[in-house]
Amino acid sequence: MKPETPFEELKRYVRFDEADARRLHAFHRVVSPHFQDIAKQFSLRISEHHNANAILSGEDQLARLTQSLIAWMHRLFQGPYDQHHYEQTLGIGDAHVRFGVPQRYVVVAMSPIRLAFDQLAERHAGRDAAPLRRAIHRLLDVELAVILERYQLAELARLETISETQRGELHRRLQRAEHRYANAVELARVLIIGLDPSGAIRLFNREAERVSGFARDEVTGAPFIETLIQEDLRDSHGAIVRDVLAGKRVGVDALVSSVRTRSGKYRDVRWQLAFAPPTTGTTSVDDIVLFAVGQDITEENARLERAKHTEKLATVGTLAAGLAHEIRNPLNGAQLHLAFLERALGRSGADTEVLDAVSVIADEVRRLASLVTEFLDFARPRPLTLRPVRLAERIERAGQLVAPQAKAAAVTFDTDLPDAPLEVDADPAKLLQVLLNVLANAIEALAPMGGGRVLVRARRFPRTVCIEIEDDGPGLRNPDAPIFDPFFSTKPHGTGLGLAITHRIVADHGGTITVDSRPGRTVFRITLPVRSDHAANPLTAL
Amino acid sequence: MDLHRSILLVDDEARTCRCLAQLLRNDGFDVEFAGDGAAAIARLAHQLPDFLVTDYAIPHANGIVVSMFARSRNPNLPIVFLTAFPEPCRAALLNPPAIVLTKPLVYDDLLRILGPAAQTPHTRRAA
Repeated sequence: MKPETPFEELKRYVRFDEADARRLHAFHRVVSPHFQDIAKQFSLRISEHHNANAILSGEDQLARLTQSLIAWMHRLFQGPYDQHHYEQTLGIGDAHVRFGVPQRYVVVAMSPIRLAFDQLAERHAGRDAAPLRRAIHRLLDVELAVILERYQLAELARLETISETQRGELHRRLQRAEHRYANAVELARVLIIGLDPSGAIRLFNREAERVSGFARDEVTGAPFIETLIQEDLRDSHGAIVRDVLAGKRVGVDALVSSVRTRSGKYRDVRWQLAFAPPTTGTTSVDDIVLFAVGQDITEENARLERAKHTEKLATVGTLAAGLAHEIRNPLNGAQLHLAFLERALGRSGADTEVLDAVSVIADEVRRLASLVTEFLDFARPRPLTLRPVRLAERIERAGQLVAPQAKAAAVTFDTDLPDAPLEVDADPAKLLQVLLNVLANAIEALAPMGGGRVLVRARRFPRTVCIEIEDDGPGLRNPDAPIFDPFFSTKPHGTGLGLAITHRIVADHGGTITVDSRPGRTVFRITLPVRSDHAANPLTAL
Repeated sequence: MDLHRSILLVDDEARTCRCLAQLLRNDGFDVEFAGDGAAAIARLAHQLPDFLVTDYAIPHANGIVVSMFARSRNPNLPIVFLTAFPEPCRAALLNPPAIVLTKPLVYDDLLRILGPAAQTPHTRRAA
């Protein structure tokens, strides 16, 4: 059995049956001559109502309306009341919707039509009038229901369209906001890392990539604490992060920590840990609940450290200068009297043991004197007098000066310099001192091994010049030893100031010095900024 | 006949000064010494030496002042600063420049600068 159509269902509801259909059909002959009148009355009624009239403006439209109204009335009485009829009535509904006729006019407009048919039935149907009127009413109700069906559909469609537009608008707005925030996050010169409730990384911006050396694909989903926090800080700093993750600390928490980069280096980062769970709905596993916003303060720390160091040195320097005066004078007395003693003993023919003893004292006095000088040099450096310096010439000069020492220790000295002249703005005497200190250091390291090779290499980079002094000696016993710290010395007769002074001079030039040491290869790497006028000119800088 | 070259030694450390004077005399120089700036200037006003060897930090007038006075008498007088405090001496605007030796003095360094005491006919003039 075929399923009931909506039209059939409506007819069944009002009990519109075959008998009704026959009665209507039979009445058509009587009623149809009045259709023109009914239609006219209908139009008049519309024109009385400003609102309704506004919609059906113009003669053409009114004529078309009259025509379709008449056609409908024919269908009403002639049938057949099939799917085709149903669809045509739906079409009337569509037209009303299309013209924007308010639903309420559709309902009340049915009233005069119904009354007109009623009167005609009373007048012409005689005893059949009552069942005929019932049939008319049933059919009209069905017709009205069908027409109004279209309003409902249209309303749905309208809502659909609105929500479609709204969704589109919402989508565009989301996209705009997303673009805005994504750019803000991406272009910010701070690290922005988002963590889910388990502490796994869900957001990793460009700066985070730059500072850490990790690509976001590598770290997304990885635990933040284990991946980025320096090993020995994981317990203490990890606990803070976990507390924030759990919402146990409210507001924004500052944390100065150290990030372990992809290459195993460390960067100091000042974090702001903000617990920010989604404000709507429940938190799901990959929602970001913690934003770690960090600033790389490695350079800042180094600068502060340098400033603190300089300040300390200035104080020490003032003290040292005063002290140096007080030390050098008695040393002078001692040394001159020693010279006197040495000569007197020499003349009187004293034995060599006595003379040796005197010369030991003289040596010790000299050592003390050089310690004072070096310490002053370190603590109260004379200001730099910068001028263009040809690096090759300085390296060559340093090589000449250490040549006797190198020869005595069976150390060969080689250079590997580019053909193009390398010029830096430097204090020539101090640059020479730097080279001499590092070279002497290398030769002293090689001497106990029965000799070796020292190679000085220089290279030009866009903004810097790099000088490498490499030896094939045993290397530093402890590669992490603070060799640039004052008074750190591994040599029995060292003052512990040579490399500290070297470091200081290089730093004063705006450069850096680092050491990279393993048995068989120790490299001191000095980087100096190239002359500023070169750096300022992009053509020559390239 | 020995024509000893003369040196005026200015230092307030009397014992050390005497010791250095003795060493220099043994090596053939004529040495006189002054214990402070005023005494040195008085001496220089009276008689000019072949060399002035002076400390910087001395009472009454510092070594640079003494040097400038000496140069006003003899613009080419060789001057050696012997000092625990070399910076101001290095910065002193003397022309020709003075030689600056930092204490403690290596005696042979001074000898090299002064040269042989009794070789060349010197410029010693009657005061």
